[in-house]
Amino acid sequence: MTNQDNNEEQAENSGSSRRGFLKQSAALGAFAMTPPSAMKAVDTGLHEKIATAFEQMPLQVEINGTLQRLKIEPRVTLLDLLREQLNLTGTKKGCDLGQCGACTVHVDGQRVNACLTLAMTTEGCKVTTIEGLAPAGPDGPLHPMQEAFIKHDGFQCGYCTPGQIMSAVACIREGHADNPDEIREYMSGNICRCGAYSNIVDAIMDVKKGGQKV
Amino acid sequence: MPDPKLMKNDEKSPAINRVDGRLKVTGGAKYFAEFEIPGTTYCVLVTSTIARGSIASMETKKAEGAPGVLAVFTNLNLPKIPGLNTPEGNNAKKPSGGETYQMLTDKKILFAGQPIAMVIADTLERAQYAATLVKTTYSKQPHQTDLEKHKAKGVMPQGERNADYKRGNPDTYKTAPVVLEASYTLPIEVHNPMELHGILVNWTADDQVMIYAKTQGVQMTQKAVAKAFKLDEKNVHVHTEFMGGGFGMGLKTWPQEIAVVAAAKKLRKPVKLVVSRDQMFTMVGHRPYTTQTISMGADKAGKLVGIVHEATAETASYEDFTESTVGMTKFIYDCPNVSTTYRIVPLDRGVPIWMRGPGEATGAFALESAMDEMAAKLNLDPIEFRLRNYAETDPEKNRPFSSKHLKEAYQLGADKIGWSKRKNEPGALRDGEWLIGYGMSSGTFNASRGQASAKVILNQDGSLVIQSAVTDIGPGTGTAMVSIAHDVLGIPVGRIKFEMGDTTLPKAPTQGGSTITSTVGSAVYDTCTALKTSLAALAIAQGNSPFMGSKAEDLVFEDGMIQLKGDRKKKLPVGDVLKANNLPTLDRALDSKGGPEQETYSMYSFSVHFAEVRVNPVTGVVRVSNAVSVADSGRIVSPKTAASQMIGGVTGGIGMALTEEAVLDHRFGRLVNNNLADYHVPVSADVPHIDTIFIDKPDPYINPMGAKGMGEIALIGFAAAVANAVYNATGQRIRDLPITPDKVIKRVA
Amino acid sequence: MNQFQYVRVTTPKAAVAAVTKENNSLFLAGGTNLIDLMKRNVMSPEKLVDINKLPLNTIEKTATGLRIGALAKNTAVAEHELVRKSFPLLSMALNAGASPQLRNMATVGGNMMQRTRCGYFYDTAMPCNKREPGSGCGAIGGYNRMHAIFGTESSDRSSKCIAVHPSDMCIALVALDATVLVSGSKGERRIPFIDFHRLPGDAPEKDNTLQKGELIMAVDLPNNPFADHSHYLKVRDRASYAFALVSVGAALNLKGNTIQEARLAMGGVSHKPWRLTEVEQFLRGKPATEATFRQAADVAMKGAKGYGENDFKLTMAPNTLIDALKTAAKNA
Repeated sequence: MTNQDNNEEQAENSGSSRRGFLKQSAALGAFAMTPPSAMKAVDTGLHEKIATAFEQMPLQVEINGTLQRLKIEPRVTLLDLLREQLNLTGTKKGCDLGQCGACTVHVDGQRVNACLTLAMTTEGCKVTTIEGLAPAGPDGPLHPMQEAFIKHDGFQCGYCTPGQIMSAVACIREGHADNPDEIREYMSGNICRCGAYSNIVDAIMDVKKGGQKV
Repeated sequence: MPDPKLMKNDEKSPAINRVDGRLKVTGGAKYFAEFEIPGTTYCVLVTSTIARGSIASMETKKAEGAPGVLAVFTNLNLPKIPGLNTPEGNNAKKPSGGETYQMLTDKKILFAGQPIAMVIADTLERAQYAATLVKTTYSKQPHQTDLEKHKAKGVMPQGERNADYKRGNPDTYKTAPVVLEASYTLPIEVHNPMELHGILVNWTADDQVMIYAKTQGVQMTQKAVAKAFKLDEKNVHVHTEFMGGGFGMGLKTWPQEIAVVAAAKKLRKPVKLVVSRDQMFTMVGHRPYTTQTISMGADKAGKLVGIVHEATAETASYEDFTESTVGMTKFIYDCPNVSTTYRIVPLDRGVPIWMRGPGEATGAFALESAMDEMAAKLNLDPIEFRLRNYAETDPEKNRPFSSKHLKEAYQLGADKIGWSKRKNEPGALRDGEWLIGYGMSSGTFNASRGQASAKVILNQDGSLVIQSAVTDIGPGTGTAMVSIAHDVLGIPVGRIKFEMGDTTLPKAPTQGGSTITSTVGSAVYDTCTALKTSLAALAIAQGNSPFMGSKAEDLVFEDGMIQLKGDRKKKLPVGDVLKANNLPTLDRALDSKGGPEQETYSMYSFSVHFAEVRVNPVTGVVRVSNAVSVADSGRIVSPKTAASQMIGGVTGGIGMALTEEAVLDHRFGRLVNNNLADYHVPVSADVPHIDTIFIDKPDPYINPMGAKGMGEIALIGFAAAVANAVYNATGQRIRDLPITPDKVIKRVA
Repeated sequence: MNQFQYVRVTTPKAAVAAVTKENNSLFLAGGTNLIDLMKRNVMSPEKLVDINKLPLNTIEKTATGLRIGALAKNTAVAEHELVRKSFPLLSMALNAGASPQLRNMATVGGNMMQRTRCGYFYDTAMPCNKREPGSGCGAIGGYNRMHAIFGTESSDRSSKCIAVHPSDMCIALVALDATVLVSGSKGERRIPFIDFHRLPGDAPEKDNTLQKGELIMAVDLPNNPFADHSHYLKVRDRASYAFALVSVGAALNLKGNTIQEARLAMGGVSHKPWRLTEVEQFLRGKPATEATFRQAADVAMKGAKGYGENDFKLTMAPNTLIDALKTAAKNA
């Protein structure tokens, strides 16, 4: 099953999964992606590996500038995809329920919680994680916000930091960093248990005032 | 006695950036769950839904048959852990509640949320799903989770520290001209570091295991695993270079960690456990629910006559947890008649563990609220009342403090917050609808120096490596150690590397109790000093030495150079000394500990917190609008990270005062807000700009740097400052934390 | 999370067909509540129909007001110029909800479909009539600090539910007389916003009046004269990123100091966004004074009932209402 197969079905339904579904009607039009042999295998008690293959779906997503052609179970979240399958562990898991912001990444330029984002819904999107923030890569010069976090000591244990930085960059890009109170409100989706908020606000103000491109 | 003059005490330490900053802002810092080991499998815990009883039956077949599942372990099939439940095992002392607990060893249920099965699968998603297929039936027994209902069952815990304390006649307060009796309640608080707890285990041979853990002490975890599996300690390799916050929850090795090590051994595969956020509320400790009563008497002149401080806190039925809730009352004020009692009540709950500031923070809320209440009764300014009862020497141990600059701290903080704006009469300040109030509080915590080793290695290029097994849960240990080495050896901070968080490195204590800068810092200091002595000797003795005939004390170490004091043009790069002596490296390793001065002086760090609050009497909302914290914690080794620790303490204090409370439904013995949407850790909008002030005067006795600890005092007392400010704003005294809008509106509206 | 079938659709028709046909299938939009519920094993759909690619995210002027596509993100709506200018109450309410990240993900339709945040609903080890009809209401006699004070009467005690609807956005939409356009297998229909969510009655498992397979297409807002005097006031335990203890959406049309017309709704107090129609009628023609607002609050609180821990709302709700009205009257 290739992505091309999938694209041909884009008109009405562009993807589907699961053994159960394989057994079901062809009415939704996604049927062509399912070879009859697989259908049979489902009915007759599938070998685990084949089952796995059919529980997985193709996904194409650009992550930090690299186009990823993947096959994943639809229940995989963007967060777990990054951390457990792509070894992009800069994006953190803090609550897994959209309640802490540690997993903040940019999808098509918007900051979102990767833990509540099914990876399948990022098909065709551009995802930026902390690893992809600095334009020259992880060993090159830092992004101004990363510099400012170091300068203002906007972190302690460092675990919420990638999420804070991704959020901070978005905060400025969105135009919500005009004063400390506005920054506080628009950074409230990122919990820092070490309590570095006051320094984080200073870091964001500094970048905003500096006028560098973020 | 260490000689603090060895340090350049006339100078402040440079405010260097966090040495691991780049790794932390790029996502390059690896936390325990992020090490990539091929073939890693995923463990998900199934937990008990009831609070007390036993497992009647467990259906695991469906889970075992689910795609990708490798094993389901329950009490019936977890391989026996050879070193558990032995006389030297974790439950050596019989707890007050009479129970014993080790994960998956029997059918007993001792608390809701107790792990009862481990499901291990090839992917995280499959393990999570399969865990939902495990079905359990229970034989329920009545549970006790409500401390208020079972206070009478309180017992005095074992140990000298927990014994009743009495000085003078404790009843004297009753006949004092002004008497206060008040009770205070602190709810369950949960550490909730942002990183989830867990462990990644990889057995590399039958008797060798590699562990990535979320622990505040790699050597503590190493010992626990070695003991449980009867292994040679050197065969247990534990690594925790970065830890995403601990606040105390990583101060012990939890049963589920040991169980995962056992599972990985059985499966012969790497196993990773990352618990869920709701599990963070039940299986890795919490700050115990505590009730306190303070009875206090004073004369008309504002001199304390007597204080009685009684505290009762929860513990688990299977383990006694104690902390120093009433400790501060014994020595912080000059008062002739003082008594304290501390009781614990075994409940059907997971065991608590020290949470930042631990018992002292709980105790300070009560004592420092009571001090404010008494000041109000006496119509005295709260600072003035404290000054009238200032303890110049330690009234508990009858000996001098090693250093105490609390008076100066009161003054500096008062000036900074604008204390003069405060009216002693409550409710006198207003900004439109909002009432404004000011409050203050003191805090104190034991300062000590323990034992640690360190190794330093100088290279020919002039770079230095420092090694210690210590972990850094966030305060900036590496930065402080680099700063100390820089101070001693004059090597630029950018040329110093601190290697840490690994059991192969020199011995260090577990990070907790504000001791690391003092203890490990001293080891680094001593080791660097030894290296300096050797370097000086080599530099003077080497052929063509510019220092020929000089004495070691004539040499100055600065900017990576050795220079002659009187003639700075005579200098050598430190690395060149090695080259000249044909040494590829020069290293020193030392074991270091405090001396008898710890018995001669009472050593404490002190803090003073000031809060300005705005209270909306219509909606009940309270906001901290300004905060100032002053620390008397000796010499500040790393000003930048120290300031961060202070603002972190204030932020934690805001949570304690205004937002944090884990709520139990006692009918079920279960928490009803075990997530970060309903358990309110403060967010950025809750936290104002915070001013931190350091007295920054070296303690002459504690250690060569003169540095006392400060992780705990950053938090201790802050909640009282807020509660006192709320009183000042509204005239209403709220004695049960947190001060949420519903409580305010009931009293004020 | 259970393994489910995932289908991506590109037309509303296909979406409706996909969900109508199967028992346990749901639309997936922003996912900010659904994924959360699935992770906690509270909902376990066998099929998710991803509607994110449907062309339903436009915000546009209509002859009578504004049409907001069901898939418009909360942020996009809150920051849209027309919304800020002509429907500021909606903008304020949206910005008071969740976090910037969640608002970037959450859609208008999804926000309406949010389920309660009652702790008993989320903990499958405790009783909850909404999650498991007939199992009882854990919040009654338990932790009900966040819970409802209005509309909790039920014919049958075993079906009782005192959960509240958690949305801020919906408070503004119900106040502003929005209508919901939905599409189902039998075609399209319009539901007045006030009738979209329901009281628990004897079926607390049902949050709203949608029929199986019906897809929210858009929300229509009629033009209104309230833009100068609107205020959304949310009282919560944290300064941000917390659900409401009580919230009030207030919109006034003033002529001089006389109230021509008012729109009012409360959040955090009921199983549905709580429109205060009677209070609106009371306010008509009255002077915009604190005395009037206090009387209005008395009208608003008729029939309110506390369950113990939430008794404070009997004070907080009228206070918040008065405060919101005062601020709205001042705005311009």
